[in-house]
Amino acid sequence: MAISLNKGGNVNLSKEAPNLENVLVGLGWDARATDGQDFDLDASLFMVKDDGKVPDDSHFIFYNQTTSPDQSVEHTGDNLTGEGEGDDETIHVTLSKVPATIQRLVIVVTIHEAEARRQNFGQVSNAFVRIVNRDNDQEVVRFDLSEDYSTETAMIFGEIYRHGGDWKFKAVGQGFAGGLKALAQQHGVNVG
Amino acid sequence: MDLTRGQRAKITDLIANGERFRLGVAIQAPGLSIDFACFGLDAEGKLADERYMTFFNQPTSPCGGVRLSTPADDPAAVPTGDAAGFTLDLGKLPSSIECLTLTAAIEGAGAMANIGPGHVRFLDGTTETGRFAFSGADFAAERALMLLEVYRKAGVWRTRAIGQGFNGGLAALVEHFGGTLAEPPPPKAPPQPEAPPVNLSKITLEKKGNRVSLEKPGNAEHGEILINLSWRPAASGTVKRGLFGGGKRSTQIDLDIGCLVELRTGDKGAIQALGNNFGDLLNPPYIALDADDRSGTRSEGENLRINGKHWDAIRRVLIYAFIYEGVPNWAEADAKISLKTPGQPEIEVRLDSQSNDQPMCAIALLENDAGAVRITKLVDYYRGHREVDQAHQWGLKWVRGSKD
Repeated sequence: MAISLNKGGNVNLSKEAPNLENVLVGLGWDARATDGQDFDLDASLFMVKDDGKVPDDSHFIFYNQTTSPDQSVEHTGDNLTGEGEGDDETIHVTLSKVPATIQRLVIVVTIHEAEARRQNFGQVSNAFVRIVNRDNDQEVVRFDLSEDYSTETAMIFGEIYRHGGDWKFKAVGQGFAGGLKALAQQHGVNVG
Repeated sequence: MDLTRGQRAKITDLIANGERFRLGVAIQAPGLSIDFACFGLDAEGKLADERYMTFFNQPTSPCGGVRLSTPADDPAAVPTGDAAGFTLDLGKLPSSIECLTLTAAIEGAGAMANIGPGHVRFLDGTTETGRFAFSGADFAAERALMLLEVYRKAGVWRTRAIGQGFNGGLAALVEHFGGTLAEPPPPKAPPQPEAPPVNLSKITLEKKGNRVSLEKPGNAEHGEILINLSWRPAASGTVKRGLFGGGKRSTQIDLDIGCLVELRTGDKGAIQALGNNFGDLLNPPYIALDADDRSGTRSEGENLRINGKHWDAIRRVLIYAFIYEGVPNWAEADAKISLKTPGQPEIEVRLDSQSNDQPMCAIALLENDAGAVRITKLVDYYRGHREVDQAHQWGLKWVRGSKD
């Protein structure tokens, strides 16, 4: 059963998804029905060491860099409008391929040019982000962005992290000011 | 609480009792005429029941859970200083209504980028508890906006400041909610004797008190003016008390259309099925009723026709409709009146009064204004024929009649 968390939720979900191996991060939203600039939501992932920083910029997986050097993380493509059913953007993670130096995979969701377009999650219809265990197609956790993060423009969704010999998932659900650029800088990426 | 665009909140965080409150709305927009409405939508976000579009022509929802007030008609119900007030009682809404969306639309040309400060605010009694403020800087070429919604999620009423809209104006807004706005008919279209089927997606926005005047084109004659009444037949098995049947129970909903007529000669009369005054189209009074539909099942409804060729003989005509039997009030009859005149947009009126003691509705007054047909839309409800007569100083004598 998927657990739906409210804002500020911080729950260890190892019991929900023991032995995680093939993970899907799904981000979905409805295309804008009203006139005005499209809503462009982006899912991104930082592969960080135990100091919380990426080893190098190639471990920041986002719309302009869709695959990690080790092929463990793959972004399936940038959806600019939310057109289509279900997940509009997905990131696939194969945990056994993640290099040993990587301790955590931090997943974030942002609105592209939120400030310039004066948009937030609450203006978007049916925006959600979720984690699915691809081995059994079980949804592990889901955040309703439109409802619970209505005034946010960027959020740290959660992180998949090493615990002993296992991987666990921790839902964070924390809003973040400054968008993807600030998030990237926070995680040690050199943003030009 | 200040609400920003996109922000959501629980109604219980704004309103103590969680159900009964007012939304006050105002937009400063010199030179623009802005109309406010409230759409009651189903789970799919569609206007499944047109009666749940609450606006100036239909100011109360059938359940009474949404009521629009303006300073002109009910100043006491409008929050001080606002352009309109919506009095909501969420507990009265049927379970099929999942969302109330408050909208603003510019009548005619203009863009929301040109508006000044505006707001929607929550009032718990007379105390303001929340406000969504916006201005022209928030918009571009939109001509209609969804301002705010009150919606049910997992059984809990919530609200969202929307502030998004459509360049296509009210038509695009209505389309977004699953309907289409009635278009004016082509100017040369001859009047069609048959009534259109009840069309849930058609909404005519003629305002009460609007006047149109039909001039004669050159030496030509006026065409035929057709007034149609149609309603939804009673579901089989429904048993409702008749209004005039001395307590006799009837399963039929019987609505009647009729008119008061005054000729140039000074002759006066009424044309209606009750009393068997069906009129005459070719001889005075040049007005005829085509049939008496006793149940609402006749596909063309009831039609009243005015022979425009003899308009010169007519001084004035007052079109009315009344409930003969079957329902206690108009809101339950789901009745629709359309008035077609050559070269003019069809005027369509839904009769939605919930008052149980006003079965009579004056629809429109047609007056001979130096040969032109001047039409004034009325939609005023009365207790009976006598009251309508008195209100318009017709001067007929009225006795109670029965069809049976």
